[in-house]
Amino acid sequence: MSRAIRLAVIAVAATATGRGQSPDPGTSPTCPSEPAPFHACAQDAAANFNAPKTKDGTPDLQGFWRGPAYATENIEEHPKTDDDDGGKSLIVDPAEGKIPYQAWASPLPSMHRLKYVDPNVPCFPSGVPRSLYVPTQIQILQNTEHVLILFERAHTYRVIPTTPGRHLGANVRLWMGDSRGRWEGNTLVVDVTNHTAKVWFDQAANFYSDAVHIIERFTLVDPNTLHYQVTINDSKVYTRPWTMAFPLRRNTERGFRLLEEACHEGERNTDPLIALGYNIYPGI
Amino acid sequence: MQGVWQTLNTAAWNIQGHSEERYPGLPARFSMPAGQGVVEGDEIPYQSWAAAQRDENYKNRHTADPEEKCYLPGVPRITYTQSPFQILQFHDRVVLLYEHLHAVREIYTDGSPHPDLPVEFWLGDSRGRWEGATLVVDVTQFTNQTWFDRAGNFHSDALHVIERYTRTGPDHMLYEAAIEDPKVFTRRWTISMPLYRRQEAEIRILENECYALAPEEAP
Repeated sequence: MSRAIRLAVIAVAATATGRGQSPDPGTSPTCPSEPAPFHACAQDAAANFNAPKTKDGTPDLQGFWRGPAYATENIEEHPKTDDDDGGKSLIVDPAEGKIPYQAWASPLPSMHRLKYVDPNVPCFPSGVPRSLYVPTQIQILQNTEHVLILFERAHTYRVIPTTPGRHLGANVRLWMGDSRGRWEGNTLVVDVTNHTAKVWFDQAANFYSDAVHIIERFTLVDPNTLHYQVTINDSKVYTRPWTMAFPLRRNTERGFRLLEEACHEGERNTDPLIALGYNIYPGI
Repeated sequence: MQGVWQTLNTAAWNIQGHSEERYPGLPARFSMPAGQGVVEGDEIPYQSWAAAQRDENYKNRHTADPEEKCYLPGVPRITYTQSPFQILQFHDRVVLLYEHLHAVREIYTDGSPHPDLPVEFWLGDSRGRWEGATLVVDVTQFTNQTWFDRAGNFHSDALHVIERYTRTGPDHMLYEAAIEDPKVFTRRWTISMPLYRRQEAEIRILENECYALAPEEAP
């Protein structure tokens, strides 16, 4: 299917796919969108918000959501240019908003940008957490034993069991990692391991290694806003664990549904880049 | 129906009965095993021009099969790729999550119609309803870019598939798919096969990102 059609046709009036809750589209957000002030505000807002519940009694996170798309350019603060929209850092800890790379690792992103194709260009799965802020829509569905996240981008998905269980064996490596979830009060906490580490955080080639351990927290702060926090722990690459936080805003468009993004099937950018001498990023 | 399911047959190679055969371009150890086929009556009612096209597809299957490019395989082919898939049920839909290419199908069971839009999907648009214990899924709005198997069996963009998922036991399901395509076939025809529940206690859907592996093969 052509991308033009996919992008043009997002309102499917007759589908009535149902989000369970029907929040008031006019509700103004409780907290600002800029990551650091949002993070500070969201912690108080979440404590004062009576989150709607599913029939299982867990917070109802279901619906269509969208993260800060500019961050797929660079998760650190970056200026607006001819190529980039620009925006503030997603990193809230450390407070200076920079990735705490070890000395050997800090020059690598700028070197890798010159050497490798951004793994998103050939439509590879964006991994965690980049899938949450690539510029497309995501959908959350819940049943008694699972939270399912569907990503429009390259039709990836994450099945997050919320029942007790073990992670996969260490030899199994996945683009999207292996997720296990649990509820802590009104927060969905997801432990993500078993990464291929062939993904980047962004077009700036910020990276983690296959030793990375990721912990995500999803909390509703108002009817149309999720507070998303993700802590990245990788003792091979960073001097300390670090955390990003940003809002996922609800898409309240009536009758909205995810469409199939047949990304690889229409992708024509990678081969010319390979011809110019770029390589596929092998991971670290 | 929730759980991880898989087929056990040779339909991925050829949905009709077939002898063993070496697939062009593959080492002998990856040769195609013989199989009894999954088509009711073992006959696909092609129009005469389409039978000739199928034969041409078969001759060129090593390069012409969309699977060679790791494209989404369409419906019903996604069912019998030989990879497992997970079924999750929600109040208004059934979601099928395939390990192959992390393909997803959302089957809406809320009574909503197919979208009245000139949009084609590699995996079609799926609308389901329950007939007793059977999930009946109407799938339309396909591309003409997918095949039924590695033997060149094909369809047009007029393809219409009616799938039936029926539990036949705690660990078994009957999968049936009726195929209609007035541009290619002379009548409706049907495939059927059992789906087997994976028995491993901690079975999970993993990944099989065919296209993500392909660039590393490039010289």
